[in-house]
Amino acid sequence: MPRAGAAKRLRRDGAAILGLLVLVAALGAALLAPVLSPGDPVKNDLLGRLSPPMWLDGGDRAHPLGTDTLGRDVLSRLLHGARVSLWIGLTAVMMAAILGVPIGLWTGYRGGWPDDLFMRLGEIQLAFPVLLLGIALLAVLGASLVNLILVLGVSGWITYARIVRGETLSLKERGFVEAARALGAPDRYLIFRHILPNVWASIVVVATFSIARVIIAEASLSFLGLGLPPPAPSWGAMLDEGRNYLTTGWWLALFPGLAILLVVLGINLVGDWLRDLLDPRLERGI
Amino acid sequence: MPRFLLRRLLHTLFVVWGVVTAVFFLVRLTGDPTALLVDPSATQAEIAHTRHLLGLDRPWHVQYVDFLFGMLRGDFGQSIQLRRPAMQLVLEHLWPATVELAVAATVLSTLLAIPLGIVAATHQNRAPDHLSRLASLLLQSMPSFWLGLVLILVFAVQLNGLLPAYGAGTWRHLILPAVTLAAAPLAQNVRLLRAGLLDVLPQDYIRTARAKGLPERLILYRHAIWNTAIPFLTVTGLSVGFMLSGAIVIETVFSWPGLGRLIVQAIPGRDFPVIQAGVFVFALIFVLVNLAVDLLYAVVDPRVRLS
Amino acid sequence: MILGKRCGVRSLALLALAIPLCASPAHPAADAEGELIVALPDDTTNMDPRIGMGSIRSTYIRQVYESLVDVDAKGKPVPGLALSWKAVSPLAWEFALRPGVTFHNGEAFNADTVLFNLDRMFRRNLDRWGIKEVPAATSFEKAFPFVTRWEKVNDLTVRIHTSDPSPTLWDFIGREPLVPKDYTIKNGVEAVNDRAVGTGPWKLMEWRRKDSMRLERNSAYWGLQPQFARLRLQVIPEAGARVAALRAGQVGLVDAVPPLDATVLARDPAVKVVSSPQKLHCRLYLNGRPKDTFDSGGRDGLFTDSRVRLALNLAINRDAIIKKVFHGYALANASPVSSVSSGYAAQEPYPYDIARAKAMLAEAGWRDRGRGILEKDGAPLAMQLLFPSKHYGQAFDEVTLAVAEMLKDLGVQVTVRPIDFATLLQTVTKGTLPYDGGFTSCRTSNNLDADDYLRDWTALSLINWAPYPPELLELYKATRRELDPRKRLALLADLQRNVRDWAPVVSLYQEIKIYAHSPRVVNFTPLTELNMDFRGVALTK
Repeated sequence: MPRAGAAKRLRRDGAAILGLLVLVAALGAALLAPVLSPGDPVKNDLLGRLSPPMWLDGGDRAHPLGTDTLGRDVLSRLLHGARVSLWIGLTAVMMAAILGVPIGLWTGYRGGWPDDLFMRLGEIQLAFPVLLLGIALLAVLGASLVNLILVLGVSGWITYARIVRGETLSLKERGFVEAARALGAPDRYLIFRHILPNVWASIVVVATFSIARVIIAEASLSFLGLGLPPPAPSWGAMLDEGRNYLTTGWWLALFPGLAILLVVLGINLVGDWLRDLLDPRLERGI
Repeated sequence: MPRFLLRRLLHTLFVVWGVVTAVFFLVRLTGDPTALLVDPSATQAEIAHTRHLLGLDRPWHVQYVDFLFGMLRGDFGQSIQLRRPAMQLVLEHLWPATVELAVAATVLSTLLAIPLGIVAATHQNRAPDHLSRLASLLLQSMPSFWLGLVLILVFAVQLNGLLPAYGAGTWRHLILPAVTLAAAPLAQNVRLLRAGLLDVLPQDYIRTARAKGLPERLILYRHAIWNTAIPFLTVTGLSVGFMLSGAIVIETVFSWPGLGRLIVQAIPGRDFPVIQAGVFVFALIFVLVNLAVDLLYAVVDPRVRLS
Repeated sequence: MILGKRCGVRSLALLALAIPLCASPAHPAADAEGELIVALPDDTTNMDPRIGMGSIRSTYIRQVYESLVDVDAKGKPVPGLALSWKAVSPLAWEFALRPGVTFHNGEAFNADTVLFNLDRMFRRNLDRWGIKEVPAATSFEKAFPFVTRWEKVNDLTVRIHTSDPSPTLWDFIGREPLVPKDYTIKNGVEAVNDRAVGTGPWKLMEWRRKDSMRLERNSAYWGLQPQFARLRLQVIPEAGARVAALRAGQVGLVDAVPPLDATVLARDPAVKVVSSPQKLHCRLYLNGRPKDTFDSGGRDGLFTDSRVRLALNLAINRDAIIKKVFHGYALANASPVSSVSSGYAAQEPYPYDIARAKAMLAEAGWRDRGRGILEKDGAPLAMQLLFPSKHYGQAFDEVTLAVAEMLKDLGVQVTVRPIDFATLLQTVTKGTLPYDGGFTSCRTSNNLDADDYLRDWTALSLINWAPYPPELLELYKATRRELDPRKRLALLADLQRNVRDWAPVVSLYQEIKIYAHSPRVVNFTPLTELNMDFRGVALTK
């Protein structure tokens, strides 16, 4: 079915382009937040509290999306919030990959007790509701940007370890690896030269989807009151503030939710595309 | 088979032990509940006295051994805040509230996924397919608690109490939280089902069935669907974990009196026995469901080796 | 409470006459068999009053259990399980008990009941009664060590002896809810908590933890009865959901309405909004302890100088907070005592005056050297503001953040550190508050007398971060000794004026509690106390 295939690719590409556009816009917003913001994201103004978006009665052109409970400009907080969300998403995912990939390579290649140990540890962690882990750890460590990234990063290692381990297991039985080993190549050479390059694609795909998950997890933790310390703008924290004003200031909860939705949607679209491009076998798994 | 089963059961026990041990020490790192129990004007001596009454002045290893032996007897201790057996509290909140919510969400996400997945697969790359893909992506991309807030805003606030926004009791209370919790798994199920059907539909036995003149609907719902069961099962096993985690936030948003909310409230209250018992139950459900899925696998598809 | 209004005799505190049953005037269209559903933000953790009483818990506990001293809607003491109380000598108080009162299970209330409860409060004779000790919020034997013994004069009279004069004994003992003696001994202290049996207007039928409590009218109640048969206290944590439930007719009365919603609801003819000042006094506590009284690393608290604390008080725009955040549903109160406590003396408000604040700080050595920050000896005036978010509610959280900005405007280097409430309590309990630390928190009281608030700065405790200087401690001790009510009031007023100027804390606001109810609910009057009272309340059809 060559026609359907072409149509599919085009549609996919279209979706991917849309996703990329959204991501570029979000990155742009994050980088240019200080320039684009109509106001200060932190400075408060009690007298101008809870002003609605400008197209509604009582709205103010100076605050296109209205003001929050302390009179801070919602649009400015959204733009600065993009920095927080993307930064946390990227760094936490990187940390998880840095922890998980070597563990996966090592346990998959060596087998034996390290394999047993880490896989059992992973199972323990999977059986532990992630949010509870986050809540407890943040209660111990205190809520801060670094701790939030630590918690979200460290709790993500098992995803990478499992996938990399699985691929390593099957790769090391393959002809080219066995041949290299028979020729006396050292383990380190085998892992870095023959195995890692072949699992790279899966890692990239998994990492992309993980960014989306981390952004949502960060929002959930902030929503439960364990996010960044105020007055830092974070989408999750903004949602949390807004939920007490559903009847009287709906815009407070609506806009940050939309922002999360858009960014996560963009990441998912790009992730779909990357998956088809790099690693079609993953289709079922994720 | 029996050896496999035994090994898996041992794994399961190990995992549960690991989880409760982790939670035991983790909660103690967060401090202790004594200061929450006394008046603000209480002095050091009064606080120390209360701590002693609660047994929290004993060394951690003593408390831990005590806890393990208690657990073997099914005794998770008394809730510090609510002065009641912790496990009893946990079970009261698990059943019916959390089970009701999780079952409703699972049923909803499965039943709705079937027609949507079929429509998407039979109209591949046409408008209904695109629509269902887009909807799935959207549902998967929003934080579930935000969806909950939007639903409350629409159904409970704008439509003036069409559906209750909080609490449990009647089936009407169940609608909004169940829909919210079902959204993400629904999207995933639709995508899975579509992909599975696209694999199955061109196969010989379906063509044979068509040639025999069986009605299309029968072919789809009788023959094709069952062959997508395996990936479905895997995902269901994993989504139990999601449902439990999701329940923590969703129960908070909708004031659903379930286990998730009990634990979320027990953490700021430093109610160690309740947190321990609650996480134990969560972990047990998770590993048992996954064990059951693995076993079902073997039943559904004998080709799967039990190794 | 309606008692005072309806039954005039009762409002003569201290010497009221025995009127066991107040004629309860039936409302014309009253639904005598109806059920009132009340939405509250949280469940009580305990029913046993010994475990503790607080703003939420009181509403549950006081429906079932009663104390010797009752209150009217204005917060004035009126006879409860005691008909009268008086100091019979400088070192002894006597309570005359109400005759003919029984607990819900039929057990009689008498002097033995009171003695047993005193034993439990002061942790005496627990072995003799064969009951376990419960972890209690207040240790009476430590807070009131001067109470020496108690005795039964006759079946309906109890005498309590003290080693020092104690003008507020009627309050701290009289307000404690009383539990049945035989029932407790027979079923253990767990039963007092799980299956509460009291003398109150409501009998506990079913308690589903964290969900709801169902109560049934006590038809044998000695006082004014509620005009409806069943009461359900329903937990609905989200304020928006509580209001929505009221609008949809699912509940009849809502506790803790957010101020902004109250202004909207007030315009709705289908809803009645009522409010009353509460004892919740919210403040910014500052580390003003000397270095040997906390884990200081050898430095005094940064806020030991009372001029600095007073200056910070002048930098708070309370007017804006009360108008914009609370829409008028809060009070500025410069006295450390709540405006509804007995013994309260209004104090001159702290003006919002940045210039004066800066001048006072300069006097204390803190000057702005052109960088927008106050400095002394090269070190900035910094404050680590520990912020227990999500504990006292949305408005409190907003006020804390607004106050942080106001202090920044003054030139204080504020760092807001959100912290979970339990962790904050640990920090202050262990004395590990940073030397430049502060925290926002609210103080409430289960007692009627001002003493409960003024005692805060005597012994080192969780919230005492600026102990009384010797002259104020002397003044406090004098209020504690004075038995003559008039002289005592004067001493209390003097102490409050001194505390206002000495400024142990930055006073923020005193809460006004808001309730909303359907017009079907008649005669509901909010109390200044922590609890709600449904005696005399009717439900129309």
